[in-house]
Amino acid sequence: MKTINSEHHLDLTKEDEKVFSTLNLGPTHPATHGIFQNILTMNGETIVGAEQTIGYIHRAFEKIAERRPYYQITTLTDRLNYCSSPINNIGWHLAVEKLLGVETNKRIDYMRIIVMELARIADHLICNSVIGVDSGALTGFVYVFEEREKIYEIYEELCGARLTTNLGRVGGFDRDFSAVAIQKIRDVMKDLPKVLHEFEKLLMRNRIFMDRTINVGAISAERALNYGFTGPNLRAAGVDYDVRIQEPYSSYNDFDFVVPIGQNGDTYDRYCVRQTELWESIKLVNNALENLPEGKFNAEVPAFFMPPKEEVYSKMEPLISHFKMVMGEIDVPEKEIYKAVEGANGELGFYVVADGGRSPYRLHFRRPGFIYYQAFPEMITGAALSDAILTMSSMNVIAGELDA
Amino acid sequence: MINKQMEYNTLLQKLKDKFGDSILSADDAADFFTLVVASDIIKQLISFLKDEQNFIFLTDLCGIHYPEQEKELGVIYHLHNLVENKRIRLKTFVTKGNPQVDSIVSIFSGANWMERETFDFYGIDFVGHPNLKRILNVDFMDYHPMRKEYPLEDATRSDKDDRFFGR
Repeated sequence: MKTINSEHHLDLTKEDEKVFSTLNLGPTHPATHGIFQNILTMNGETIVGAEQTIGYIHRAFEKIAERRPYYQITTLTDRLNYCSSPINNIGWHLAVEKLLGVETNKRIDYMRIIVMELARIADHLICNSVIGVDSGALTGFVYVFEEREKIYEIYEELCGARLTTNLGRVGGFDRDFSAVAIQKIRDVMKDLPKVLHEFEKLLMRNRIFMDRTINVGAISAERALNYGFTGPNLRAAGVDYDVRIQEPYSSYNDFDFVVPIGQNGDTYDRYCVRQTELWESIKLVNNALENLPEGKFNAEVPAFFMPPKEEVYSKMEPLISHFKMVMGEIDVPEKEIYKAVEGANGELGFYVVADGGRSPYRLHFRRPGFIYYQAFPEMITGAALSDAILTMSSMNVIAGELDA
Repeated sequence: MINKQMEYNTLLQKLKDKFGDSILSADDAADFFTLVVASDIIKQLISFLKDEQNFIFLTDLCGIHYPEQEKELGVIYHLHNLVENKRIRLKTFVTKGNPQVDSIVSIFSGANWMERETFDFYGIDFVGHPNLKRILNVDFMDYHPMRKEYPLEDATRSDKDDRFFGR
């Protein structure tokens, strides 16, 4: 079979034009689950080259962040990987805490683990059920979306929002977990295993699903590392890199959990790795909730943490810190840091250069999706169109994160 | 902590032996070992770190702009030694007139889009990049928006009528 360089697919010779056809997959296509375009060069049903166009929803977050006070950047992080915003929020808070040198207590750490693992569960549920949808199995999707909805209700209880959560604050949380929230978490954790079992019965050993996903969109561990893969996609290829283990943050080292790895780096392995991680996340949430220590739900960082409103009206100190915070009159050390957390789809990093001013001098988001999505053409070359769709959904590419 | 210091010093000595004066400065007080290096050795340096020092993973690559410096534009690399779990940060600076830095796509395929993004926002010309064109902004944009001379719109301007924006 004749192969061509994907970069030059538009400069086909007259001869090639007779053989190959060009197919636009996207920018808006129900199967891409986001706004990005793939120009595929097809030889019949086989893909011989692909070129991606991204940036359709670029919102200049890094530029905007250069004018915002640190605490207002949390809302920008919501909109990166919007399937698991709480991880982004807390990742940003951890980054600012690293910059300020703030230590949090165990209660805050455990609360954060609960929220982050719930977000991971929600994210993996979407991704894995959508793999099912794209292979023609809509049923599982409907099952698990009910559970995802319940997780979103927990978010609502914790912060009032569902999708763009702006959850927590620098130094902890704006409020403690309410009794209702804890009850809701317990309820979800009780029901979820049953639903997951059912979901796994539908797909995991389903002959059709296995035939559609095994050896589809495979990438070797070496190539995956070279491409900067992280998260479940890298682990599916057989590399046990997980930021929660490598650089434990938020007291993850207090917990015992398994980092599942795959072998072939194909769609099925990615599915299985996520599925196993779901079980681990359930374990983590249960453990953290069971062992939730007593303590305050926020650390003392007055320059970043809004004091209770009633105190602002009646006491001097809270009034001052409220005013200073809103006006952005905050003291930030002049240094630069990189802080990474294990996002639902890979290593989410924040590179902050602080010049001591009210907003970062430079803020760069290491968006895992942006980095691993560039391997897509390599992964689908030689595959059929329907396999490309499955490969894309199994990579968990989120447009908000791609474009920043 | 002392161990870390020794590791840094050993690595720095190795790099100084190999690259000499091209290693402009080193900072071990930052969260990761940070090196500022001359722009012409960046490719060999990264290649050396990858092949001989186990820094096999390119975590991040991004640009920065310091208008008051003589060499205004910078490129910042974060590499990760997955074997010993160490990170390193490399910085290199170039002038606005000659913003050429060697591309490292041949070392790390993942650098492709990161370099395109840096070109898009800071106008750094990655020499040897297979497809250096804009990635997030529109193709016909004629400036590099993350440079400091392009400030965000004044947030207090009042000549915009919100009614026209559906608010």
